[in-house]
Amino acid sequence: MATLVQVENLRKEFGNVRALDGVSFRVDAGEWIAIMGPSGSGKTTLINILGGLDTPTAGQAVVDGTDVARLDEAGLTRFRAEKIGFIFQQFHLVPYLTAVENVMLAQYFHSTTDEKEAQQSLERVGLGDRIEHLPSQLSGGEQQRVAVARALINHPKLILADEPTGNLDEANEEIVLSLLRELHNEGHTILMVTHAPSIGRLADRRIEFAHGHLVQAAVASLKPELA
Amino acid sequence: MFARLLGESFARNPRRKVLTAAALVIGMAVATATLTIALEVGDRLAREFRSLGANLLVTPESDTLPVEIGGVDYRPVDEGAYLNEADLGKLKTIFWRHNILGFTPFLDVPAYVSETGGATTLIGTWYKHEVPVPDGTKFETGASATHPWWKVQGRWFQDGADECVVGAGLAEKYPAAFAIGKTIHLTQNQVSGDGRPLVVTGIISTGDAEDNAVLLPLPVAQEISGHPGKFRQLFVSALTKPADALAERGERAQTDKNIQLTPTEYDRWFCSPYISSIGFQIRTVLPGTDVHAIRRVAETEGRILTRVGTLLWIVTLAALGAAALAIAATSATTVLERRAEIGVMKALGASNALVGGIFLAEQVLLAIAGGAIGFFVGAGLARFLGESVFGTPAAPRPILFPVVLALAAVIAMIGSLVPLRRAAHFRPAVILRGE
Ligand SMILES: Nc1ncnc2c1ncn2[C@@H]1O[C@H](COP(=O)(O)OP(=O)(O)OP(=O)(O)O)[C@@H](O)[C@H]1O
Ligand SMILES: [Mg+2]
Repeated sequence: MATLVQVENLRKEFGNVRALDGVSFRVDAGEWIAIMGPSGSGKTTLINILGGLDTPTAGQAVVDGTDVARLDEAGLTRFRAEKIGFIFQQFHLVPYLTAVENVMLAQYFHSTTDEKEAQQSLERVGLGDRIEHLPSQLSGGEQQRVAVARALINHPKLILADEPTGNLDEANEEIVLSLLRELHNEGHTILMVTHAPSIGRLADRRIEFAHGHLVQAAVASLKPELA
Repeated sequence: MFARLLGESFARNPRRKVLTAAALVIGMAVATATLTIALEVGDRLAREFRSLGANLLVTPESDTLPVEIGGVDYRPVDEGAYLNEADLGKLKTIFWRHNILGFTPFLDVPAYVSETGGATTLIGTWYKHEVPVPDGTKFETGASATHPWWKVQGRWFQDGADECVVGAGLAEKYPAAFAIGKTIHLTQNQVSGDGRPLVVTGIISTGDAEDNAVLLPLPVAQEISGHPGKFRQLFVSALTKPADALAERGERAQTDKNIQLTPTEYDRWFCSPYISSIGFQIRTVLPGTDVHAIRRVAETEGRILTRVGTLLWIVTLAALGAAALAIAATSATTVLERRAEIGVMKALGASNALVGGIFLAEQVLLAIAGGAIGFFVGAGLARFLGESVFGTPAAPRPILFPVVLALAAVIAMIGSLVPLRRAAHFRPAVILRGE
């Protein structure tokens, strides 16, 4: 499998806080990775750097052949629009746009809007009947499904999900996780931050963080249920 | 999508939008009003200098200086030379006749008013008078052409009628004697009884010596003074070209034998409407006269108007600056309030230009709305201000409409610049952390 993400000696400092302290690992295309570790260990920081939302202090973070550490502001903007699909814990939908418009927004920033395609993508996450709803008219799980549809709409190389189920109840968590599983089965590459070991076990591989270090970058550990 | 984002953004927080629009309305209203007035000032200046009123004074050569005490001419009546009214038509035969916009003869006569028992000066003149021109046409002229800034309350006397207008100074001093509609009696010397009766038809303010005189039709003054067909001074209003080196040389050449114009220079001088060449041409048709250039009151008035204009420009700038500040304040709040949304858009790959474009477009839309309302409010304000500055309302200027809209847009953009730069520096990572 081709390497999609290659992180080399990545460091990120916020003042004198070392959020990432020399992190190195690789992710192959099509892998589903769970990033785990205690609060404040640098998980979100890593996701942000890989997604071009933040820049590292030192080191390399190559995604699909692009070292995000070397991109300027405009380059990062394009990179986000073209290569990354974000799913956030707080959903981060635009409150005054309907579900379909939220999806179309990502299309718009990427290139041009296509309402049909946006609708199909909502149908795919099971929201075919919620297309014209505002985020405030949707449940948390439904909002997160809109966010998933939005993350997928531009066919990103890499899906970054920072605690995607952190704000959801069990039923909705199950829906979102099964969506991720589907995406994985279709060949998408997913980096997912989670605290829950039960969720972490769904991934192909877990990367454990502690104090900005990698505790265990398991060498292609197989899924437990397959082991 | 852009339109959708803009529309949604526009619909939100209407109170702040109203505030922004209000700042623009006020700023643009003041700007419109002051610009209208400033344009009016400019126009008036131009008109005043164009019709400049009289800019040449023709007097008999070696006329005695007037002995004026308290606005009253104490010269013996017979002293000094007189000019012939009958020659005046010739002014419209000179080379630059079309540049002679008007002329008004003055005959000043010392006299007594029986009603007040005081000495005063009578000024015989024309208000609107038809002068026969040698080519057989008639030329209507008089103080209406040469002294357009004179203001009469009531009405002017009719040419040749037994009527008069009284200077505002006199009228103020003797309100009982010089009220409009009253008849006054004028005599050449204190002793003689009845005097010539004249009906007061108006009170005149000129801002000059005439304010303490009685103005009456020239023929009546000639009759009272015993100099039929004569006058002493002629005010000429001529369209002239500003003096330059040639104008000065031409003028000096007439008195200084050492200065000689070459024939081409002379032709050029003669054929340019300089004050000196027109004066020279006037002297050829009115021999035995001196022609002086005079600078009218308009010059001081002009200076004041220019200052008023400058002041108005400053007020305009201040109003625009205040509007920009108000917009900066409201848009800073807006940007801050919507940083979460800005963060999300940036995370999804929206460029700074696009995010800024949405905010700017919104501000420009507001600016156009505010500017349009401001224009009409300002036009109303200008009417009112014009009334108090000039006594006549300043007419609205449609040409200012696009100017004001553009100004409003520019102001809105300037006001949004700082907040938008802040927004550009928002790090989505920081915003999305929700801090
Ligand atoms: N913008 C920032 N400014 C200063 N310190 C920061 C910033 N972002 C992160 N940090 C610090 O960096 C460290 C790692 O933060 P990070 O958000 O990556 O942790 P995390 O593993 O995602 O934690 P959690 O599980 O609670 O989300 C923390 O100590 C945090 O306080
Ligand atoms: Mg985190």
